[in-house]
Amino acid sequence: MFNIFEALYRKILITIVPKSKSSDVYIEICSRTAVLKQFKESFETTTLNKKMIDYINSYIKESPYFYITLLDVSQTQGAVPTCDKVRLSYYNDMSTSEYKCFNKKWTFYTSKTDLYKIEKEYEEIGIDFVFSPFSVLTNFFKDKIDTNMALYVLIQGESLSLAVFENSELLFAEHLPLSLLNDIYNNEELSHSEEILDLESDEGIDLEDIDMSEELDELNDLEDLDDFADIEDLDSLEDIDDFAEDQDIEEVFYEAEDEIAENESDDNFNDDYQRYSLIQTSLGKYYNNKKYNSKFIENIYIADSVGISQELKRYLEEEMFLNVYIRTIDLSAEVTEITKMELNICNTAT
Amino acid sequence: MQYSYITPRKKSLLTQEVQLVLSFFTITLFMLFLTYFFLLYKNYSFNKERQTLVTQQITLENSLTKIESSITFIEEQKSLSETIFTKNIVLKDSITNLFDLVPTRITLSEAKLLENGLILYGITPNKDVYNFMLQAPLRSIFHKTYSSFYPAKNGWLHFVSTNYIDKEELLDEN
Repeated sequence: MFNIFEALYRKILITIVPKSKSSDVYIEICSRTAVLKQFKESFETTTLNKKMIDYINSYIKESPYFYITLLDVSQTQGAVPTCDKVRLSYYNDMSTSEYKCFNKKWTFYTSKTDLYKIEKEYEEIGIDFVFSPFSVLTNFFKDKIDTNMALYVLIQGESLSLAVFENSELLFAEHLPLSLLNDIYNNEELSHSEEILDLESDEGIDLEDIDMSEELDELNDLEDLDDFADIEDLDSLEDIDDFAEDQDIEEVFYEAEDEIAENESDDNFNDDYQRYSLIQTSLGKYYNNKKYNSKFIENIYIADSVGISQELKRYLEEEMFLNVYIRTIDLSAEVTEITKMELNICNTAT
Repeated sequence: MQYSYITPRKKSLLTQEVQLVLSFFTITLFMLFLTYFFLLYKNYSFNKERQTLVTQQITLENSLTKIESSITFIEEQKSLSETIFTKNIVLKDSITNLFDLVPTRITLSEAKLLENGLILYGITPNKDVYNFMLQAPLRSIFHKTYSSFYPAKNGWLHFVSTNYIDKEELLDEN
């Protein structure tokens, strides 16, 4: 009998996406089969404030069937390419982590402490779902992940989640907060202070060169340096043509539609450079670390939720010889899509 | 849960508002049923009491009829006794009057009081004494008076005086 009542009531799906200084609250009101209304509001808090509580409560009142979803933005999260509980510890210490196996192929995890903290912080309204950005990334590039071998990056305000998939098999994944780069810089400043001073006295070219030189140093240590020899081969025109043929034409068209919006966000150059550095560092880790089944990456798919500049694309293309495809993502809407999939309600995006 | 780290809270239709409304309706219905059952019981109780009272009424009516009939009987008895008492008084008066009527010179040997008459037997010294002293008052009382004489051994006369009251004449007089 309660199912009949449940069908009569509308479902209120509330998604909270915390950013660096604010939080987006996205609300969808669904019937059993369709989305009826959508609302989006931004609040000047990273957790909860009275305004946000009032806003959410005003929609919660409409139906007892409301679901509050939060995107996990904690730093100590990630994903590992196995579901085997024994092998999990090979990649990461899971004793203090909450983890979930995705399609019996790979596992995403987050810190139990952070989850507890989230539940405490949002105690007043309660939380029904906490999703990993890797779930969002996988769902967003579902059409590509199943058939391609590429690096997939979800760019959020203060962090980025990247994953390497080969035909839906996860090879490598990492969640990187932008603040992490500052820590790396600080360490480097301590250990290579002299080198930095030299570089600064040169042409004033900044940290890019440090990273690249660092990266190349690491690559030199690798046995499978041959893979990178291919990159050098790309310098020849023929290879460049072949490389161009490998381009995802559909994605290029898709990207062209978003280009105007991207041009508007050139001011975020510094952040984008940091993102580039993080991607570069992370790829270095992927290639270097023997834990991972390293395979050569040609394509990078970026889900952009903040409006990155064309500079990032240019850097990735020119410095790392990657085909870069950028899709704009409405993060809160995508998270809501996962909520719908989880609840099996409304029209889930296929 | 396939994607979420945590399981969602159980959703229930019974929100605070619904609970309030439900409890209000439950209390109202409970009170209505309570009143209904109270009235049902009272109705049953009244019916039972009514039946008892009706039975009692019938019993009382029966006893009342009996009492009334006995009252009638007693009244009849009373009136009869009164009639008898009156008759006795009348008779006593009549006898007293009768004896007052009889002069000292005439001696009565027998007197028969009839319903509508009087028969006297006695001895008179002579017919004149009888005619003047006894027959005259008797004639004034009775409508019909018959006298017969036969001689006694001592020279006096035995007489038999038969007197009747004519009922029709009595009615005419009234």
